[in-house]
Amino acid sequence: MATLNINGTTHQVDAPDDMPLLWVIRDIIGLTGTKFGCGIAQCGACTVHIDGQAARSCVLPISAIGDKKITTIEAVGETSAGKSIQKAWLDLEVMQCGYCQSGQIMSACSLLGQHPHPNDEQIDTAMAGNICRCGTYPRIRAAIKVAAKEGA
Amino acid sequence: MKITSGLMNICATIIAFSFSLNVFAISPADIKKGEYLARVGDCVSCHTAPHGKDFAGGLPMLTPVGAIYTTNITPDPETGIGKYTESDFAKALRRGVAKDGHHLYPAMPYPSYAKVSDTDIHYLYLYFKHGVKPVRQANKASEIPWPLNYRFPLAIWNAFFLDKETYKPDPDKDANWNRGAYLVQGLGHCGACHTPRGLAFQEKGLTHESGKFLSGETLEGWSATNLRDDHNTGLGRWSESDIVVYLKSGANQHSSAFGTMTPVINNSTEGMTLEDLTGMSSYLKTIKGSDDKGQKPYKYDPSATLAQFKEPAKHPGAKLYQQYCAACHSQNGQGVAPYLSPLAGNPAVMDPDPSSLINVILNGSPQLKPQGVAAPYNMPKFRHILNDTEVAQLVTFMQKGWNHNLDATDAKQVAKIRKMPPSAH
Ligand code: FES
Ligand code: FES
Repeated sequence: MATLNINGTTHQVDAPDDMPLLWVIRDIIGLTGTKFGCGIAQCGACTVHIDGQAARSCVLPISAIGDKKITTIEAVGETSAGKSIQKAWLDLEVMQCGYCQSGQIMSACSLLGQHPHPNDEQIDTAMAGNICRCGTYPRIRAAIKVAAKEGA
Repeated sequence: MKITSGLMNICATIIAFSFSLNVFAISPADIKKGEYLARVGDCVSCHTAPHGKDFAGGLPMLTPVGAIYTTNITPDPETGIGKYTESDFAKALRRGVAKDGHHLYPAMPYPSYAKVSDTDIHYLYLYFKHGVKPVRQANKASEIPWPLNYRFPLAIWNAFFLDKETYKPDPDKDANWNRGAYLVQGLGHCGACHTPRGLAFQEKGLTHESGKFLSGETLEGWSATNLRDDHNTGLGRWSESDIVVYLKSGANQHSSAFGTMTPVINNSTEGMTLEDLTGMSSYLKTIKGSDDKGQKPYKYDPSATLAQFKEPAKHPGAKLYQQYCAACHSQNGQGVAPYLSPLAGNPAVMDPDPSSLINVILNGSPQLKPQGVAAPYNMPKFRHILNDTEVAQLVTFMQKGWNHNLDATDAKQVAKIRKMPPSAH
C-alpha cells in the first residue's frame, strides 16, 4: 500500500513498489490526461510535476515519491504558471493532434517556475525531452515567451 | 521339470532385469542436482545462439584472433555429445579435450572447471545425458585464420596454464567460505570475464592467491569490473548482503547489472540458493584490493556537478545528460536504486576503462529477468540518437561528475566500440 498525494488529494493505492507512477495515475486513479508515449523517458508525453519539478512518470517507481506532491495536467491550471501557459497555448493555438501537449505544458510550467523569463537556451534545455510528432515546436517556444511576458 | 526350469528362467530374467535397473537407474533427483550445477556454470548462456535451442551451440564468441562458435552440448549422438562417456565428458570439462581428441579453445572456461569435483561432474553428466533434450544441429567452424587455427599448440598452452587439481578446501576457513571459493573459482568461472588475460589469452591467476585474480578485464567491448575489495572500482563499499542481492535480483543500492552480466543473472545466479550466494559473497569479500589503480577513496559530493546544470551552454556534457539521462538517473547521480541504477560512486562508472559506459549508452542493455519477471525499467540504446562526440561528452561528464574526477574519454574510443557488434549474448 502506498500513499500518494495527487493534485491535493491523498490516495491509498495497492500497487507494487516498482510500479511506474504513470500506470498508477492512469490505470488506478483514472486520471488519463497524462499520456503514455515511449515508456523509457525519451518522449516526455508522461510528464508530471513532483514538488513543482517536471518528471517523467513512466520511469518513476512509486516507492521513490514518498510524501512529495504530485501535480498532473488536470490540476496544473490552478497554479499561476499553469494559468498563463494554458492561456498562451490557447491564444497561439499551439496544439495540433494534441497527444504530446499535456507533457509539453507540464514541462513549460516547470520551466517558468524556475526561470520566470527564460532565454532560448533555457527553453531548449527544458523542452528538449518533449517530442512532438506534429512539429509544433515553433509555436511552443513562442507561447512560452508570451506566457512569460504576461505572467510578469 | 520343464515348467520349473521355465519358471526359473523367468525368475532369473526378472532378477537380472531388476538388478540392471538398480545399477543403471537414474534418479530424477540426481538429474535435478546436475541441472542446478549447469545453472551455476551458466552453460546455457554461451552454448545457445540468439533465438536458438537451449544448449545447441552456435553463439559467436569474439576472440582476439577471430570468432569461434560455441558447440552443441545436447545429447544428440551425431552433432552433440550423446556419445560421450562420463570420462569423455570430464575430460572436455576439466582438460579442454573433446572426445575425438581435439583441443577446445580456452574460451571454454575449462581452466576454471578443472576445479570441479568428481561428484559434481557426475551429476552434470547425468543432466546433459538424460535431462537435456537432444537437438540435431551441426557445429559451425571457427573463423580463426590459418595458421592460428591449428589446435595442437593448445596442448602446450595447457601444460603452462592449466592447473589440474580439483578444488582443495582451505582448512582454516569455514564451510561457507570454502563453498563460495569452490563456486567462484570453479563452476561459476567468474574469472573468465573478470580476470585479466595475458598474451596467450590465459587468465593471469585462477585463485585469490594471485593479485590479478578478478581484478577486471575488457572482453568483447565490455569492461568486466574489478571484484576485489578496492574501495572505488571494486566491491569495497559493498556488504556481503549487497552482493547477494545483486546476484539474486540483478541490482542493488550501488549498481545494476547490464551488458554481458545480464544473461549471467538471468540464466544463472538468480536461480542459485541463498546458501551458495552467501558463500560466494563471503569469499569475494576476503579478496584484498589492488589499490584502486591509484584513485583516491571516493566520497560523494554532487555540488560542482549540480552547478553545471544551471549553465548548460557552457557544459555540453551536462546538457546532454539533462536531456537523455537525468529523468532516470537523476541530476544528483543517485537514480532510484535498485530500479534505476545510481551512477555516482558506481564501480562500473569509476572503472578507468570506459568501454562498458560507452557500450551501454550505444547499445542499451538486455532485459533483466530475475525469477522470470522482467525488470520494469530498461536501459534504452542511443546509438542512433547520439554521435561519437556526444557520447564522449556524456561519458566524460559522468567520469568527472559527482566528485569522481576521472580521466576523460574521447570520440575515438566511442567510434571503436560503435564498430563492434553489440554482444550476441
Ligand atoms: S512515456 Fe514517459 S517519456 Fe515517453
Ligand atoms: S501536437 Fe501532435 S504530437 Fe505534439
